[in-house]
Amino acid sequence: MDLKVIDHATCTFCGCVCDDIQLHADEERIHQAKKACVLGKAWFLNHTAERKYPDALIDGKEATVDEAIAAAAEHLYQADMPLVYGMSNTTCEAQRECVEMADHLGALLDSHTSL
Amino acid sequence: MGGKVTCTLGEVKNRADFIVYWGGNPAECHPRHFTKYTLMQKSQFLPRGRKDRTMVLVDIRETKSVKASDIFLQVRPGKDFELITVLRAMIKDRPISEAQVAETGLTIEQLQDFVARMKAAKYGVFFFGMGLSMTRGKHMNSAALLTLAAEMNAFTKFVAMPMRGHGNVTGADVIMRWQTGYPFGISFNRGYPRYNPGEFSTVDVLVRGDTDCAFIIGADPGATMPKPAIDHLAKVPTIVLDPHVTHTSKLARVHITTAPAGISAPGTAYRMDEIPLPLRPALKSPYPSDEEVVRRIKETLLKKPDWMGERPQMLQNQI
Repeated sequence: MDLKVIDHATCTFCGCVCDDIQLHADEERIHQAKKACVLGKAWFLNHTAERKYPDALIDGKEATVDEAIAAAAEHLYQADMPLVYGMSNTTCEAQRECVEMADHLGALLDSHTSL
Repeated sequence: MGGKVTCTLGEVKNRADFIVYWGGNPAECHPRHFTKYTLMQKSQFLPRGRKDRTMVLVDIRETKSVKASDIFLQVRPGKDFELITVLRAMIKDRPISEAQVAETGLTIEQLQDFVARMKAAKYGVFFFGMGLSMTRGKHMNSAALLTLAAEMNAFTKFVAMPMRGHGNVTGADVIMRWQTGYPFGISFNRGYPRYNPGEFSTVDVLVRGDTDCAFIIGADPGATMPKPAIDHLAKVPTIVLDPHVTHTSKLARVHITTAPAGISAPGTAYRMDEIPLPLRPALKSPYPSDEEVVRRIKETLLKKPDWMGERPQMLQNQI
């Protein structure tokens, strides 16, 4: 199995967002996270590329992503006052999509900051 | 937090000789903050590194960060606002009473020493954590500390910066500010963004039962929020996007597994000083990214008839 080395990787565990981490990874998992702190090491080493969870769940039953997207959209569409919340452990690109969706829905929009 | 007197961590690293951590425990929560930015680094202006810097820790109890500090000020729990107010009076030589000082849990000598050191500093920084912003007084505490930092600029250079937790929570603030003009606690229900924390902030909305569908992404309120809020999430259709099946997923109607950002999903994340940094994922994920899933849900919604009927007032429909 090929071992990749990724320089200047970015850790998104805490607000420091350290961008000087060196990752040693194969196809499956990250084996080393050099320069990362205890929290960062745990963050990188505990995530793997394996399929640990079902793609999607609807009412607790396994479903495909397409079905789940349709169900999610229907729930949001039927709601009078939907809420879009969180957006901490995700990328700015996804956050931008969330804001646009909330705008279109006439929804409430909030992040961890208010907690 | 628009309008705050602040700086980047690069400036702190190169210039800050007086560092105050208020209501936070960086030794355990942000382990590389000391070594990368605030204490250990040497620079042109601080050639002796740690020896050229003074670190003050203000907290309600002794944490592991005390060891790294030069001075520890143990404030009485819930009296941060009072302490900041006393300090604001003291820097301007306004009279303060013994009772006001006693209330903070500190002595007048400690406060006089602190004020003298603040004024003598070349470049001072307040880093404030959740011990300040999430306890009695909440955002009023943060506002008071930001005001103190601003007022200190009558004497020397002083800035303030919040110690943000969770990865890209700073990015969420920045993106919402850019798109809506407000950082959090927003409602679009009139067709334009309105801002009112306390009314539109999630815990309050859920406790009052003011929402009938929740879309949760990159968060696990099922593990962190008060019970009445969680109960309401279980009552309404909740949709969760997360790399794991979380507490919230278990009470949700729809869960979609997504690729973890920074591990196997690319994108951008903001550091606590609002510097955007690119992510360099090391793994390929069998799951789609958050961005892709949200975009597809949004596109599905856009195909449905507008919920406002014949006269949509959304800005995007008026352009």
